[in-house]
Amino acid sequence: MTAEVGQRRGWRRPWIVPLALALATSGWLLAVEGHQGLARDEAQYFRAGERYWGWFEALGEAVRARKPGRAFSRAVVDSFWGDNHEHPPLMKTLYGLSWRLFHRCDCVGAKQGLHPIAVHGKHRTLPLFSRESTAFRFPAILLAGLGVGLVYGFARRLVGPWAAAGAAVLSVAQPHYFFHAQISCFDAPIAVMALLVGLAYWKSLRSPRWGILCGVFYGFALATKHNAWLIPCFLVVHYLWMRRGDFLRLRPARVPLAFVSMASLGPIVLFALWPWLWHAPVARAREWVNRHAQHEHYNFEYLGKNWNLPPPPAQTGRWLLRATFPFVSTAFTVPVTTLALAAAGALVLARRRRKTDSTDEPAVINPEPPALGARASWLRPGADVDLAPGMFLAVQILGPLGTLALPATPIFGGVKHFLTAMPFLAMLAGVGLAWVTQQATTLVRPSRLRRALPAALATLLCLPAVAETQRSHPDGIGHYNLAAGGFAGGASLGMNRQFWGYSVLPLLPWIKAHRPPSNRIYWHDVLHDAVMMYVRDGRLPLGIGDTGVGESVVAQSDLGIVILEKHFAVYEYLHWAAFQTTRPAQVYAHEGVPFVVAYQRGAPPPRQEPLPP
Amino acid sequence: MKASSLLDADSFRRHRLAYACAAGIVVLALVETANALLAPLRAPTDRDWRSAAAAVRAGFRPGDLVVAAPAWADPLLRMHLGDLIPLAVAGRLDAARFGRIWEISQRGARASESEGIRPAQSSRHGALTLRRYERPASQVSFDFVAEWSRATVSRVAPGGQVSLCSRVPDRFECADAPAQSVKAELLEIDTSPHLALATSLTGDATTVVEFDRVPLGRELAVGAGLHNVWLRKSGKGTVSLRVLVQGRELGRIQAGSLTGWTLGRFDTSTLAGRSESVRFEITTDDPSARYLGFAAEARS
Repeated sequence: MTAEVGQRRGWRRPWIVPLALALATSGWLLAVEGHQGLARDEAQYFRAGERYWGWFEALGEAVRARKPGRAFSRAVVDSFWGDNHEHPPLMKTLYGLSWRLFHRCDCVGAKQGLHPIAVHGKHRTLPLFSRESTAFRFPAILLAGLGVGLVYGFARRLVGPWAAAGAAVLSVAQPHYFFHAQISCFDAPIAVMALLVGLAYWKSLRSPRWGILCGVFYGFALATKHNAWLIPCFLVVHYLWMRRGDFLRLRPARVPLAFVSMASLGPIVLFALWPWLWHAPVARAREWVNRHAQHEHYNFEYLGKNWNLPPPPAQTGRWLLRATFPFVSTAFTVPVTTLALAAAGALVLARRRRKTDSTDEPAVINPEPPALGARASWLRPGADVDLAPGMFLAVQILGPLGTLALPATPIFGGVKHFLTAMPFLAMLAGVGLAWVTQQATTLVRPSRLRRALPAALATLLCLPAVAETQRSHPDGIGHYNLAAGGFAGGASLGMNRQFWGYSVLPLLPWIKAHRPPSNRIYWHDVLHDAVMMYVRDGRLPLGIGDTGVGESVVAQSDLGIVILEKHFAVYEYLHWAAFQTTRPAQVYAHEGVPFVVAYQRGAPPPRQEPLPP
Repeated sequence: MKASSLLDADSFRRHRLAYACAAGIVVLALVETANALLAPLRAPTDRDWRSAAAAVRAGFRPGDLVVAAPAWADPLLRMHLGDLIPLAVAGRLDAARFGRIWEISQRGARASESEGIRPAQSSRHGALTLRRYERPASQVSFDFVAEWSRATVSRVAPGGQVSLCSRVPDRFECADAPAQSVKAELLEIDTSPHLALATSLTGDATTVVEFDRVPLGRELAVGAGLHNVWLRKSGKGTVSLRVLVQGRELGRIQAGSLTGWTLGRFDTSTLAGRSESVRFEITTDDPSARYLGFAAEARS
């Protein structure tokens, strides 16, 4: 092999593995997303995304009419971008764009009126997907693939290729993360954005180019979800730790380019991407911040109790119990082997600087040691110091979890609220995997066996996570790990089983078959937007009834469903009272754990079978 | 092949703990993978449920209670045996009046209703275990919810002025507080069903629900709590339910957003066999979004 060929392969190789991982991830998600129902919030983002696309259509029309300014008027901007303005637009815009490009148009005729924007004729598209919902979901799925590739790239700076590949697989092979990775919401996308910003910040410690990019990526993150507000806080903690020597020498640390860039370019990118801000940037940005800073408490089941109120200050025990939620949820939802690897990785990183036994090959590659004689500047603020990867991962993991544990934080619930920690947790697990591999290769003598060990161990140690994730689908958010006892164990522990009403999907054929003559159907937590998308996807017939939301309409229905969340019990009892029976006509269960019940007025005693997932 | 040719014995001796930890992770991975593949097979099948349900039907007697363990399996239980669980049974005050309890259990769970009782009969149905428990049941001499129409309902203003509420077919309505009624209703209290005397609260008047000539037993069991998860979330007041027999206070139950379904068991053994008036007085410090449900049984 010539040096040139070797160099070329060396240049190409770093892209092949992450690309393959990204494609495999997106392929996996695309292969299974059709079994996962439409989440309540997701259905609103479908609607908003289509409306946002409508603005681009309006812009095109204005340009054709030689009056482009018309599309930028406040009235026109607000009529499209005012929808769902409590969340920034980047992902919704991508969802709308993807829908416009890739759906199989069935948009004229009977379904024409089901769209939130006017449909003037059959759309010319590249019809990649048979269901419109898949076309909406496609950007989220691609982004999840990118996230896996990024985990590989980032982890590769710390560990070898097999351990990095293992970290990448473990980042998506988590039932709760996997659930969110395939739907067109913001939780997996913001996790990927946090990773992207984190990677850019990491590289900016030695490269000014990445300092600038960090600000641009931060703008993307801001335009994805408000969790982005927290990202700089975590990075500042790392930065101060990394430069703690300055404080010891009573020398203030320099403000690095990455932070300057995030503070300046971030808001500019957000503003550029969010037309809703254009006509009243300060007032509307304040409205956005206030909406989330003063968020209401959600209902959420944790350890057998429904939490929807902050405990009185006197009840210390309840405060403490609530504070444990993100940590207990992580311990019960992430595959146990992944957690064990992460624990090993944490130990390895904690001991990294103290390790003196030079006879052992280091498990962790020293991440870009400082060059001899290098001097730090605000452009290269990490040039002269160790980059402290342990602290970096610690703040990225514990930061989101700790924020949710604070008493002042509204009750949210759901792993999704600290999902940004999970790619970093997987990276930590990758370090653990490298350590296990190192132990094995040190112990084993035959060289052929030693060479095979990294791949074999990476495969073996990723297997449980992949198997658990496959097992959990399509009810990933109801899944609990080996320590909790799976679906049934989680239910017995009184952990939240689901939210967003996505789980109705397996019941749709039954509902179709048992549609009452009155067409009065109560859909509970399945929003009208979701029902309409099921119709557009061809999973429900046109004209399917929807009595609407609220307790009063239950009695007006002849068929009703109830999504089984603890705080939704009241809706089930309303059915009992209205239909004068406690007997559901149908139940959807996963591994014997009920998720949805359906009631039918005057239903004959049927021969029932709970629906399998 | 000798182990020494495969493994570095010297390294093993020096790093025993590290190797044990690494091996532990590998073993954990194998166990977790096997569990992920096999655990779904342990879930009860529809066939198991049908078999257990058939066994219950074969031995069921009116007045029996059928429960699921763990409680989260209740919807599946009701899908198979819901016709044996009418609203009044599902919304029971407690399980004391049931002498025979059928429990369909999985994964070794026990229902709270069967705690401390030895099963009289047990059978396996695939992944389900059916147990029948028998015990002396409490004899209910008066069910205040079932007998709601025999009550007298009134509102007593802070100044002592009494306004009687009138009975219409399904409730009591109070002329001075049109938004308030008293009726028997299936309520959601602490995310569980309870068939109870329900009243929303308005103003600062005391709501009085009184029953004359109640045949008393050895105890008066009273359960109370606030209905509706959304009301519990939005309201702040505490509701007090005062229980009086022949004008003498037996006790009080306080109901707030976090108190759940509170069960009080008041000793009436000195009055057993007599018919006396029983009065419930309901007051609150803040009636906003407060909807009280209470149930009571006179038991021997």
